[in-house]
Amino acid sequence: MTKPKIAFFDLSCCEGCQLQLANMGELLLDVLELVDVVEFREVMSEKWEGNFDVALVEGSVTDDHSEERLKAIRGRSKVLVAFGACAATGGVNGMKNSFDLEEIGKYVYGADHKSFPTRKTRPLHQVVKVDYTINNCPAYIPELVEVLKHILKGLPYAVPDYPVCVECKFNENVCMYERGAACMGPVTRAGCGSQCINNNNICYGCRGMVSNPRENAARDIMAKYNITPELIAKKMEMYNKCREEEKNVKKEHHH
Amino acid sequence: MATHTRYYTLRKDDLNSFIVKLSRDHKVVAPVSKGYGNFAFAEVTSSNDIVLKYIPTILPPKKYFFPQRETILTFSTGRGENAEAILEHEDTVIFGVHTCDLNGIQCLNIVFSERPRDYNYLGRKDKITIIGLECSEYCDKDASCNLMNSNFPNGGYDLFFTDLGDAFMVHVNTQAGEDLVENANLFKPASPEQMAALYSLRDAKRALFKNEVAVDRKDIPAIFDKSENSAVWQKAGEKCVGCGNCTNVCPTCYCFDIADTMNLDLKSGRRVRSWDSCQVEPFARVAGGENFRSGQAERLRHRYYRKFRYSLGKYYRFFCTGCGRCTRACMAGIRLKETLAELVKEAL
Ligand code: SF4
Ligand code: SF4
Ligand code: SF4
Repeated sequence: MTKPKIAFFDLSCCEGCQLQLANMGELLLDVLELVDVVEFREVMSEKWEGNFDVALVEGSVTDDHSEERLKAIRGRSKVLVAFGACAATGGVNGMKNSFDLEEIGKYVYGADHKSFPTRKTRPLHQVVKVDYTINNCPAYIPELVEVLKHILKGLPYAVPDYPVCVECKFNENVCMYERGAACMGPVTRAGCGSQCINNNNICYGCRGMVSNPRENAARDIMAKYNITPELIAKKMEMYNKCREEEKNVKKEHHH
Repeated sequence: MATHTRYYTLRKDDLNSFIVKLSRDHKVVAPVSKGYGNFAFAEVTSSNDIVLKYIPTILPPKKYFFPQRETILTFSTGRGENAEAILEHEDTVIFGVHTCDLNGIQCLNIVFSERPRDYNYLGRKDKITIIGLECSEYCDKDASCNLMNSNFPNGGYDLFFTDLGDAFMVHVNTQAGEDLVENANLFKPASPEQMAALYSLRDAKRALFKNEVAVDRKDIPAIFDKSENSAVWQKAGEKCVGCGNCTNVCPTCYCFDIADTMNLDLKSGRRVRSWDSCQVEPFARVAGGENFRSGQAERLRHRYYRKFRYSLGKYYRFFCTGCGRCTRACMAGIRLKETLAELVKEAL
């Protein structure tokens, strides 16, 4: 059996998720046994002209150019994977959507901003059909491996739809709310093993929200901890701003 | 097995020797501090880390009988049947189990002994020795153990410790408990004065512990029968964030989910069961996307009915021990005692 041809691409991102592959250590060798990496700009200069069995795309779509690139990759790939928070949910790139595009363009590029046309940030699935999603900022290695196994077996992968609190309690952490810190765990999709809380940090919500987040209840909870509505909004939006566009794009490519 | 009704004492100064000796032959777990006024059962090798005065641990001792995640089967996908059941258990002594948690373990024993019997649970139970520890006063204001009749020892342990100041009164309930006492060589028969001290401690407790919600225990099922459509559920449901903490920390919650995971060779794999929670979105969702309990208020009501109503019909006992964990773990401030009090008020 020939090994599936797999390629990595990046749109607007920090390439941190691709770096996570390098952080896999020996696991990476096991994975490389199973696949044939044909394109991976971060570690190799070769380019592949043919089609891909699996394309892992990191980063969000933030301008017309990246939209075209993504559509071209989609056209050449049997399986397309949204790789990491920016690709899966828009991630921190989504914060741009809270501002006027013209204004934010000036802020970043100054007088030249007209030469860098920008658009609202979108996660991949708001532009093309996505077959698998690897959440987290950066991608969480155990989940990355789990998703790869599912892809290679041709099985669907279901991202947990329960909150981080579940894993946090499995790990018997003292709740951040008991330590006086406001945590995004209650509305954020699990699957990370509550790694931030295990390491004495709060959950920032990098995995995106559960399918039916109880946002009002969550706001009430944070308000009890004397957090201003502005800060609550910022916490909610840091990784989740792109959710707003969800309803507008759903129908376009999902039939 | 003979029933033992013997009382010994262990000098407080000898507790460390006892734990050190125990930990040579067994894995010993006991309550230790997690900081911020929280505690957890964790492995110990001496009494240094053990906290004798603790509020119920974040997770109850059920995690040793029914772990958060466990492999129950390994398989390989080739031709033919190729699966092996996995029964993992380790000889463990749990030291310092409060009476509410003894009650919780008794509830789970009943559930997992039902047919088809759960050998993963029962196998572990066989290997676990339980040493109880009496609360001479309330752990905190969130407990409702008097209402739930679980603030006095009522079986379910091998040894039971009561702190009498300079010594522990130790009740021996099983042969396994008797063996621990004999092998330790540190215990002495209780004197009449020490027995008197135990009885007066119990009298003092009876004066101190009162029903935490103004209701007679036996009236609770009838109150729940009237409360299906109570506004209490809507009100609490609005506040509930659906985090699942209340069920994950509950000593009597036993729902689980089962999923298969492949190994990286893509030829073999394992079947893992993990705790599930009726409070989270996917719990009652079925193929096709239908969700049988889609509102948070219904989920919350369901949890209460599982504790105070349904279990009475099925197992003839409450499945709440009054440990207070669900209240402490709820960042939304949904408090069991308050919810019960509101239901009582409405029903009267
Ligand atoms: S620390 Fe965060 S994730 Fe953990 S239980 Fe508390 S709110 Fe949930
Ligand atoms: S319902 Fe709450 S108080 Fe009752 S046993 Fe469960 S966690 Fe303890
Ligand atoms: S702990 Fe509180 S907020 Fe979380 S599911 Fe239970 S009742 Fe709801």
